[in-house]
Amino acid sequence: MPYEMKVDGMTEISALLEKMEQQATGIASQALYDGAGIMAEEIRKSAESIKTAPFQYAREGTRLPSPEEKEIVLAAGAGIAKFNKNGTEVDTSVGYSSSGYAELNGKVKPVPLIVNAINSGTSFMQKQPFIRKAKNSGSPKAMAAMKNKIEEAFEAMTKK
Amino acid sequence: MPSEYEALVAALKLTSTPVAEYGWKTRPEGAYYVVQLDGEAGSMDGDSGKLDRSWGGSLDLYYPKLTDRDDLIEETEEILTEIFGSSWYLNSTQYESGTGLFHVEWVFEAMDEPDPEPEGEENAV
Repeated sequence: MPYEMKVDGMTEISALLEKMEQQATGIASQALYDGAGIMAEEIRKSAESIKTAPFQYAREGTRLPSPEEKEIVLAAGAGIAKFNKNGTEVDTSVGYSSSGYAELNGKVKPVPLIVNAINSGTSFMQKQPFIRKAKNSGSPKAMAAMKNKIEEAFEAMTKK
Repeated sequence: MPSEYEALVAALKLTSTPVAEYGWKTRPEGAYYVVQLDGEAGSMDGDSGKLDRSWGGSLDLYYPKLTDRDDLIEETEEILTEIFGSSWYLNSTQYESGTGLFHVEWVFEAMDEPDPEPEGEENAV
């Protein structure tokens, strides 16, 4: 007499896996949104610590950014780019690249140019790499927040 | 201060171009370096503490368009590889149209010296 073997519950698991595949991009986007928000906040905090000095032309050596320049950087704020979706992968970037223009001493100048001059330094501007500092201090926090968000979402999914 | 950073400053001083550290006041003629430590970066955390401390910093090279030192970038990268191994990267290259200077930036990470193994009877097996 042949023995019959049967495994129960596989349909449930396959249904769950299918559901996960469908919702993965959505969950990843939510997590990325949280992480990007933390990074933007970290950059804002870091920008507040930029050292300034009243404006004067750097005839010898370098100068610090003027308070007006710092104000422009703070007012512009780090933006979050449109999310790129590729399969279940989602990515974005946080920064000043689309921060537009600002008026400085009667001239209209692009904000990314001012941010780059402060962040990377030039031959006449002292360098204050505030974006890299924000990246170093913020990325562990952002990673933890994203991991939490994903775990929460999967827990909610498996409980149903 | 990590010994690798000190080694970098010493190595740059040996080359013929002038070196200026963070907080420099005068702008030298021709090509010059600016080297600085920015702060902590990429430390390894664990056991409710910092297991390995590492420091991030950057090296900036400014050079005029017409220079007889074509091998300046390669030479700098050789120095960085010698001192840091692979823990550095080329972050950006820029051209300042106002001053006619090229600006190349490298970012490096330097490890603190590891703490010596504690000695004493408590640690005896």
